Amino acid sequence: MKKKIIILVLFLLLLCGCGEKKEKLILATEAGFAPYEYYSNGEIVGVDIDIAKRIAKELNMELVIKDVAFDSIISEVKTEKSDIGAAGISFTEERQKEVDFTDSYSESKQILIVNSSSSINGINEINKVAVQLGSVADSFITEQYPSINIIREKKFLAAIEDLKDNKVDAVVMDELPATKLITKNMLILSDPLVVDSYGMIVKKGNKELLSVANKVINELKSTGEIDQYLLNHMGINETNKSNSSIKDRFYNSVIYDGRYKYIIQGLTNTILIALGAVLIGILLGTISAITRNINENTGKLKIISKLSKAYVDIIRGTPSTLQLMIIYYVIFKQTNINIVLVGILAFGINSGAYVSEIIRAGISSIDKGQWEAGYALGLSYFPIMNKIILPQAIKNILPALGNEFITLVKETSIGAYIGIVELTKASDIIASRTYDYFFPLILIAIIYLVITICLSKLISLMEKRLNNARS
Amino acid sequence: MLEVRNLRKSFGNKKVLNGIDFVVNKGDIIGIIGPSGCGKSTLLRCINMLEKPTSGEIVFAGNNLVDDESHTETRRRIGMVFQQFNLFNHMTVLDNIILSPVLLGILKKEEAINQAKKLLKEIDLEEIINSYPHQLSGGQKQRVAIIRTLMMKPEIILFDEPTSALDPEMIGEVTNLMRKLANEGMTMLVVSHEMNFIKNFCNRVIFLSEGKIREQGPSKELFNNPKTDKLKSFLSKINNY
Repeated sequence: MKKKIIILVLFLLLLCGCGEKKEKLILATEAGFAPYEYYSNGEIVGVDIDIAKRIAKELNMELVIKDVAFDSIISEVKTEKSDIGAAGISFTEERQKEVDFTDSYSESKQILIVNSSSSINGINEINKVAVQLGSVADSFITEQYPSINIIREKKFLAAIEDLKDNKVDAVVMDELPATKLITKNMLILSDPLVVDSYGMIVKKGNKELLSVANKVINELKSTGEIDQYLLNHMGINETNKSNSSIKDRFYNSVIYDGRYKYIIQGLTNTILIALGAVLIGILLGTISAITRNINENTGKLKIISKLSKAYVDIIRGTPSTLQLMIIYYVIFKQTNINIVLVGILAFGINSGAYVSEIIRAGISSIDKGQWEAGYALGLSYFPIMNKIILPQAIKNILPALGNEFITLVKETSIGAYIGIVELTKASDIIASRTYDYFFPLILIAIIYLVITICLSKLISLMEKRLNNARS
Repeated sequence: MLEVRNLRKSFGNKKVLNGIDFVVNKGDIIGIIGPSGCGKSTLLRCINMLEKPTSGEIVFAGNNLVDDESHTETRRRIGMVFQQFNLFNHMTVLDNIILSPVLLGILKKEEAINQAKKLLKEIDLEEIINSYPHQLSGGQKQRVAIIRTLMMKPEIILFDEPTSALDPEMIGEVTNLMRKLANEGMTMLVVSHEMNFIKNFCNRVIFLSEGKIREQGPSKELFNNPKTDKLKSFLSKINNY
């Protein structure tokens, strides 16, 4: 026995040793500067991160990302808390006194896109502009031109759409993706608004790291990989063009980069939420319907029945999107609760109100004479409800519950509002990578359709069996 | 055994029963007649508290039912047969009959089944014991409903137009069963439009009009020598029809 323990301990030590073997390259950044560094699905990604990974690989080290305030990045590097800093840091004399800069790896040119038909010649003639939320363009316009009205879209493509629809006078964005995105009715104004050169920073005198970083940067620059990184992180992949064949589009939307995983995750969450919600809905709906029925039949439970009615009225009288957002942003504001769980709860509470009305309708569809016969035989409320009313009402209730479930499956799509990756959100994520909206949306629509058609079939089967059971 | 005192019932502003007084003795077979809307059915429904009276007293076995919190105990002792039978549609005849006595613990399931079989056999209905209500004729349904009531061993049975929903050829099946009960000494209150049946079957008749008792007495006397104009005109209308 003792021997076994010793062997086990040794084995564990060995395992720990293995894990520790690779040294760490710590990168300080501030993730909020797309496309250079930003959060995507809970992970920090971006052009800077891609380059830093290559540097770490060159050094045979493991990259660790530290998300700090932009102002602290220099002190992080100076105090050796971090090895390298990268956050779209532009060269200034002041900064060069504090730390060493690598060669520039990226030039950010912010340009103006306008409709060819417009007479706008420069930024000063613009009233309304569209940008991508949190992008370089966003902070530039916000700081330098506070009088301009800014529409902040989640994606560049949406900003371009705004321009196409004449909702804005111009779009401000990086030159590189702009050339890929503009339509033939748009043009890029030749004078860039601002040109910034970005470099990474290391502690003064850290020649070794500086030379490796420069070597990697220059290599990536010459192969065009940095440009490719930029395009990738702006959601524009050169391999995806909407005029490519269905097969290519299927490949890009579903296979490439494991994008089917989003669909699987979305499908799982959609079904999980719909199932969980319908169960909670049945529980709440039954309680609500029965308490109201008790009150109507016996006059008892006055307050609870009033609450039940208020619950149904409130839920049915407000948009479900609003309910979901209130539950997430107001009720669960402080808690670190799983978002899918919030979805199950919110949709469950929502569904309960409708289930309550379904059950009430089912009960009231039963002839009053059945109640009276029960009472006349000396039975009281609950035995009549359980043995006489519900067994008959269930034939009307079950199919309606099935329809409620179908509604729920579709309604989970609003879960995206609070960031649940359900089916609709999954298609949105894929489209944001491929810029091909058509394919994933149609694909998801087909998945919804398959689910609901199967459910409808199940319900009509159930109805048939219930009707047969009667005779 | 049952006394109704100054019973009043209003639905909203509409006064349906406007001060009813009468006494039921053991073994009485009382017919309640009157034009439609006169409150006959409401009166029966008040007696077993399916409708709550607005005021007045219903004294049964020394108890004023109107004051009672729960009516389950007295309802076992006051049976009721409905115009629309009200059999439980999702249950077989047997389950309809034994449900309440078994649930209330009056009979064990075995006893209840035996009792049900015995009662069904007495009126030649044993072959439908496992049928569902929708498979039965109206006359069969009403007879099953009466047996269902009998299982509770009631002291009075209220019949609310028991033959009105039946095809004419089936009326006899039901009235024959009622006659059988009468011979066994059951106390009954019968609301009906079958004047011949009331005349021959009941030993006392109450004539109700506009929520009040206008005339009551032994049935032959009431039908042969009506005293009030209201009863005269009611009977003449019925006879002309």
